[in-house]
Order: sequence, then C-alpha cells, then structure tokens
Amino acid sequence: MRELSFEGTTVRFGSGRSALTAVDGVDLTVPAGSVVGLVGESGSGKSTLAKAAVGLVPTTSGEIRLDGAPLRTRRDRRRLQLVFQDPHASLDPRMTVGESIAEALRGRRRSARAAEVARLLELVDLDPARARSLPSGLSGGQRQRVALARALAAEPEVVLADEITSALDVSVQGSVLNLVRDLQRRLGLTILFISHNLSVVRYVSDVIAVMYLGRIVEAGPADAVLSSPRHPYTRTLLDAAPAFGVALDDPVPADDPRLDTEAPSPHDPPTGCRFHRRCPIGPLTRPERTICAETDPQPGAPDRPHRSACHFASETLTLEVPAR
Amino acid sequence: MGRDQWRAALRNPVGAAAAGLLVLLAVLAVVAPILWGDAAEETDPAALSQGSTSEHPLGTDALGRDIMLRVLVATRYSLGLALLATAICVVAGVLLGVLPAVLGRRAGRLVTGTVNLAVAFPGLLLALFFAVIFGVGARGAVLAIGLAGAPSFARLVQTNVAAVSGRDFVAAARLAGVGRFRLVARHLLPNIGEPLVVNATVMAGSALLAFAGLSFLGLGVQPPAYDWGRLLGEGLDRIYINPAAALAPGVAVVVAGLAFTLLGESIAQVVGVRAVRRRRPPVGDQAAAAAAAGSAPETPGDTVLVADDLRVGFPAPRGGWTYPVDGVGLTVRPGETVGIVGESGSGKSLTALAVAQLAPDTADVTAARLEVAGVEPRGRPESEVRELLGTKVAMVFQDPMTSFNPSMRVGTQLAEVTRVHEGQGRRAALARAVDRLRTVRVPAPERRAHQYPHEFSGGMRQRAMVAMGLMSTPELIIADEPTTALDVTVQRQVLRLLKDVQAETGAAVVLISHDIAVVAQLCERVVVMYAGRVVEELPVGQLGAAAHPYTRALLASVPDLATDRERPLATIPGRPPDPADRPEGCAFAPRCAFADDACRVRPGLAAVAPEQRAACWHPRSQPLDLVLDVLSGGRS
Repeated sequence: MRELSFEGTTVRFGSGRSALTAVDGVDLTVPAGSVVGLVGESGSGKSTLAKAAVGLVPTTSGEIRLDGAPLRTRRDRRRLQLVFQDPHASLDPRMTVGESIAEALRGRRRSARAAEVARLLELVDLDPARARSLPSGLSGGQRQRVALARALAAEPEVVLADEITSALDVSVQGSVLNLVRDLQRRLGLTILFISHNLSVVRYVSDVIAVMYLGRIVEAGPADAVLSSPRHPYTRTLLDAAPAFGVALDDPVPADDPRLDTEAPSPHDPPTGCRFHRRCPIGPLTRPERTICAETDPQPGAPDRPHRSACHFASETLTLEVPAR
Repeated sequence: MGRDQWRAALRNPVGAAAAGLLVLLAVLAVVAPILWGDAAEETDPAALSQGSTSEHPLGTDALGRDIMLRVLVATRYSLGLALLATAICVVAGVLLGVLPAVLGRRAGRLVTGTVNLAVAFPGLLLALFFAVIFGVGARGAVLAIGLAGAPSFARLVQTNVAAVSGRDFVAAARLAGVGRFRLVARHLLPNIGEPLVVNATVMAGSALLAFAGLSFLGLGVQPPAYDWGRLLGEGLDRIYINPAAALAPGVAVVVAGLAFTLLGESIAQVVGVRAVRRRRPPVGDQAAAAAAAGSAPETPGDTVLVADDLRVGFPAPRGGWTYPVDGVGLTVRPGETVGIVGESGSGKSLTALAVAQLAPDTADVTAARLEVAGVEPRGRPESEVRELLGTKVAMVFQDPMTSFNPSMRVGTQLAEVTRVHEGQGRRAALARAVDRLRTVRVPAPERRAHQYPHEFSGGMRQRAMVAMGLMSTPELIIADEPTTALDVTVQRQVLRLLKDVQAETGAAVVLISHDIAVVAQLCERVVVMYAGRVVEELPVGQLGAAAHPYTRALLASVPDLATDRERPLATIPGRPPDPADRPEGCAFAPRCAFADDACRVRPGLAAVAPEQRAACWHPRSQPLDLVLDVLSGGRS
C-alpha cells in the first residue's frame, strides 16, 4: 500500500460567469496504511476531489501523487479504486455479481478468476454462491459489499470510499462500516473515506480532514480534531450533529442570529475567509475582526495547529468543548 | 427485456394479434414461393387482364398471371427486402450511435454533429438521393431505405448511450480498466436494448411501406422480379377494370406494416410505464387480516389524529394485494410531537400520506377508524376532504424542490393557499405570505417572496414549505423526512424551526425519519415501525429502556460521536421482509436473536411500562447500556 497525496489540486468547471471552482488548491496526504476521513457538507467538493484522483474529472492544476510519483496515465490511476455512494447505480443490472467482479481482475485464466471471485466475496462476508446472482436480487448492503469486492479485485494501492453508507439503511450501515474497518486492519488498506456524517467518519478514520467550499479548512488526528477543533466550521459541524441527549434548544455559537444561515454560493465565494459570514467568532459577531473579510487565511494554514484555515485558530480552543 | 415482459407484450390483445399476423406472414414467406412460385410465373395467353373468375379469384395481369398467387409469393421478397433494409439501418445506426462513446471527445462531437445534420434532412429525400447514387433496382432501394433511416436510429442510440454512460456502473467499469469496446458491448448496449428493439420493430413496418412506395414509383424492384409495391403499381393502371388487382397488394402492405408497428407499440407499452387500473381488494382479505391488527390505545379526550388498523394496499404485479402498511394504530394529541422511525420499506411515509389523504391513486386505504383534525375523511367525496383538511393539515416533504411549482413565484404559491381555502384577496394573501416567510426566518421576506423556488437554497425552500403550512392555522403538521436532503447545520435550523412553530401555534407535529437521533431531538414520543406495523411506542426519555429487540438494535447500530471505536458496531443480520412475502407471526423474528416458537404468532402491542407499548413476546427489560451512556453523557 502506498501514500496518496494531493498537492495544490484544483478542479474548475465551466468558464466565464458560470465558472465554479469545486476544489481549490487542496493539499492533503493519505499516509500508507491509514484511513483519512474527509468531511464536509454537500457542495464542499469532497466527491469531486475523489473523482479527480481516479480521473473521472480532469484537474485544472496541481498534482496528485502516489508515493511521490505523479499519476498521469489510465494505468497509473487504476491503482486507485473508487467505491461509489449508490450501490443500486454502481453495479450493471445486466451482469451477475461474479461477472462484475471478474471484470476488474486482469490477466488471469478463467478458472483462476472464478476462484478469485469466490475469495473476494468471502472477504466481504458474502456467500461465494452469490457470484451467480444479479444485483437486483441483493439488498443495498450486499450490493455495497459487492462494490467493495470489485474495488479490491483491481488490487488497488488506495481505496477511495465516497459516501458509501449514505444510501444504506441505518441497520445495514453498521455492518458495512464494520467491514471497512475490518478489511483495513486485515489488509492494511490505505483509504480516503468521504462522508458528510462526522460520526461515521470518526468511527473509521485515523485522520480527519474538514472541507468547506473547495478547501481543506482543518486536518489532524481524528481525536484531536473532534475534541479540540481549531476551525470554527468544524465546531459548527460538531454542534449540529444530532445526538441523543443533546436538546435542540441548547444554544450553540452558530445559532447567533447575526450570522448568515445559508452557505455562500460556490460560484461567488466570499472574500477573505470563506466562512466569515457564518462564523460565530468572525466579523459579524466581533466587528473588530475585519481581517477575516479581507485576508484569506489559507496561506498561513500549514503553520497553525491542525493546519487550520482560521486567523484565530488558537482562540477556537477557548470555546468550550462538551464533555463526552 | 425479461422473459416475463415478452410474455406480457404477447398477452396484450393488440400484441397477440400483431404477433399472430407476423407468424402467418413468416410462414407465407417461407412456403408460398415453394408451393406457388412456378404457378405465379405461368403466363396464360387465354386469360389476359381478366377480372375475378372462379379460376383466378383476383383476376390476372397483362400476361395472364394469377394475381392472388403473385401477391402471396411476393410476401417473401417484400418482407425480406424490408427486413434487410431494417438490418442495414440498425447496424449503421448502432455503429454511428456508439461511435462518440468510443472515440475521444473531439471526434465524438464531430460524429454527433454529422448525425444531427443528417437527421435534419428529410428521410424520403435521402432515400431518393441514395436510390440515384446506387442505381435504380432492389439493391439500390435497400441501401437507400436502410441508410436513410440510420441517422434517426443513430440519434436514438446516442441519446440512450449518453444516459447510460452517466451512470455509476459505467464509471466503475472504466476505473476497473475495462476497455472502450468491451464497455460498449458489455455495459452500454445491453442496457439500452429495450428502446432499440421497440424502434427496430416499428422501423421494419415503415421500411416495408417505404419499399412499397419506391417500387410503386418504379425506383424499387425491377421486372421480372416483383414485390407488393410493384404489383400495386401494375394493378393501379387497371383499377377501374379490376379493382382487386390493386387492392390485394395494397391490403398486404397495410396488414404487414400494421403488424410490425403494433407489435412495436405493444412491446413499448410493456417496457414503459403501464397504466394501472384501479382495483379493489376482495373484502374477505381485509377482514381476515384485521383480526390480528394493532389498534390505537384508548385515549380519552382530545386527539388531533386517530388511526386504528390503518392499512394501505397495492395490487401486486402477480395478482393479489400487498400491504406496505398493514394495520397501524396511531394517536396524536393536540400540540404533541410524535416521531415515526423506521427503515426504508417500513411503511412510515405511506402511513403519513394515507393519513393526509394523499396516498397514490392505485392504493387502497382502509381503517377501522380514521379521524384527522376532527374530520372523518372516509366516505366523503374527495373534494370535500381536500376542503376540510386543506387548512388543518400541513405537509412538509423531503424534497421541497418537487413540492413547489418551479414556474411560480414563492410568494404567489404561498398566497394561493389562503386565496383558495379562505377566499382572501390577492394583496392580503401576499401580505400574509410575506409575514409567514418572516415567521420562519427567511431573510428579506419581501424580496424572497418575489423569487422562484430555484433561487432558494435547500434549507430556505424547506422553510418556505413550512411557511406554506402556516398560511392557515394547521392543527397537524406532518413532516416526512424534512431534513434528509439537508446538511447537518441546516438540518438543525429546520428542526429548531419546527419546534418553534409548534410552540407558537400549538399544532401537533408528526415527524417521520429514518434517523432515530433526529427524532429524539425534536419529539416527545417515538413510534417505531417495522414491516408495515408499529412494533414499539415510547416516550423519548425512555429510549434507553426500549423493549423491542428491533428498537434496541436500531439504537445500537448507529455510531455517534461517543461510540467506542475499538468495538464493532451492533448489526442486524438479514434484511427486512418484502411486503409481499412477510413471515407469519412477528415480522422481525427471522432477524431476532430472541425469537422462538412463540414468535410464530403475531404479537399485538402490549404495555411493557407506563406509556410504553411493544409488539413483542419477549420484551427486553434490561436498560440499554449504550444509549444510557450517551444520554447521561450528553450536554443537557
């Protein structure tokens, strides 16, 4: 397994007034044998980043490297495998499970292929006899297992899992998460695990990176990021996550009525810090902080704790963290 | 297209008739030339240009040949040429159609552009053009008709390929290293086969007609060979002397053309959406099931919603009925917030729709008792129910984009509610709409009221949806997965809004969600549904003491920010039963660790603690560690 790294990766769609920078100069490293969780809301660019890595969308600038070597050809990119969100859409309805998996196996004889398909199905806790069934005969969770088996069949260096539990029922989500964690430990997989759900990301990840409007605003060890976030956006996400025993009425800093309730348009991102209009410790609540609306905090991020894209990264600490 | 669909296409009377005709024509095409080929060529100098006689029922032509035999024998040539032209058209069309998917982006665009240009060119003109190039005769005509149809077929293929190419499984195959040609052969073509088959069948019919046309004009089949078109042309010269000579080949062309077209249409009908006729289930069916159903608890006094033994059935594809909602009892008191939790297929949304009288037309809704906001909707005409419930029940759906009319300003849509139900004037209604948008904290409500739904973000649209519910004074707000499509930060805002609205107006709220944590945040009471029935209902504070194994498993399987990362998550083995194939007795038993023989009998809801009822023969009494930890470790 190898290390995947994004260096200044930028993805821009369209041109002129309709141009949209979905991913804006992302630096992120997924160390070999570890799980990096990427969280962010819809439209933050997290899926686009994964698609850029496997070549489904072209990068505008920047480099994506595998162990330092840039990925350029289709052959290079095949060493990364993407597992999609919706297992109902990601398997060909006309092909049996076995055929779908076998497609990703290359250069093997027919008999060896069948044996390998059976091994892979067992690896994802499915009965090898399932190789002959069509996807329509499987539940959502079983299909997602097949999709995982297909990704593993290509013997990838890195697996990118894009919201793989979002389309599943909660009772099934648990078993898929268990499988991901189990596979990662047994096979030492390198995984970029993308989800909008902090609790899910937390459960499987060693490192957590938080994305907002095309940029990584905070990244660090999972426990550290969750227990002492250094970016107010991470704090806001944590506060908003529904949990038992957390009443809706408990005010959190992000409920301040002076703040924008809507995320800004990615077509026209705010100047300075992109989060400043929603930031509970930004210029809308503390008028003296004009720096947030004027100066982009991103360039100084590598020197701050958790590589936080916040001018007041050290101050975020003073916000009280709930005892859990 | 599956075997079942073919069968269904043939079962339909039109399809069956068309298929029968085609079989008859095929048999004729094979045997007619063998049996009568020579006889049809036989000239009879004694009977030139005769009318109908006993020897020649349809008369003879100028050389004294029997016209009836010639029409029968011409079947093979006419059909053969039409099918050949269709084959050329389909092959050329498929090749041109998949070319953009195989070639790179630029070359692909060039092909697409060329095809579009060719489509714009009139087909018959194209055929005449090709006929001139390839020379007059059968070969030229086949190529002309085949190639003339190719562009439109290519366009059909392109459109369908483009749609399938965007699907994830094609991207996944690409990532797995599947080559372009294999991608087309294995993933693209098989998944667009249905529309292609339908169109090719219809096309065969029009090719037959086009051929007859060309032959009739003298551009097709040349003597001594003959097809229907040619026979028609010859017969037409003498139509006043012997009408049958012209009519017979004409009828043959029409019948064969119709057979192809109708078969294509009936296949298309089966492949596409079929109109489902409204049916009613047999009465005995309901009565038998009602015996075991759960009932609403006896509630003295005020209620805003009572449903007792609510059942929603749909006609099953293979006959009979399935009941996605199968005997639900639900009671909501005024001002109460009740959460309905369940996984997909548990029947929770359908329950809400049935209560609001919004169940799909094909559904059959029955209940022992159903009262919504003091109105008993059953037995009343639909318009009266809409009138009565229109102002008393507000619905908030998962995707507000689809519940707003995209071509109407948001303010106008809100105003419409009171204009219709309360007869309020335009200006007053609009003023109230702005006021309600302000109530749900939409910033700059005057400006926002003049915007269209697409100009609203998801969270704002959901607020506007709530505002629409508040245009009158609802007694009951039913919110069906209102935050599922929203980000967590926005979800929190919308939930808070619902809570505020509930506190201000005193309306009862029924929140339907798959996320038990969301329900626990907003609601006082939780109703857990599984396989179309209520399995447990309990106050939110008692979730830690959930008694039904399914509720407990649901609670344990969802990770939250306090879950132990070193321990595997709790899981529920198996999958929920299909509504058409529910086990006898407890529907959860096959997945339940505590199931035994007793569970073969369906358990009814029974009290296990004050205000807590569970439908289980083996209710758990041990407190749930995990939830208790979380509950006590929380912030409140």
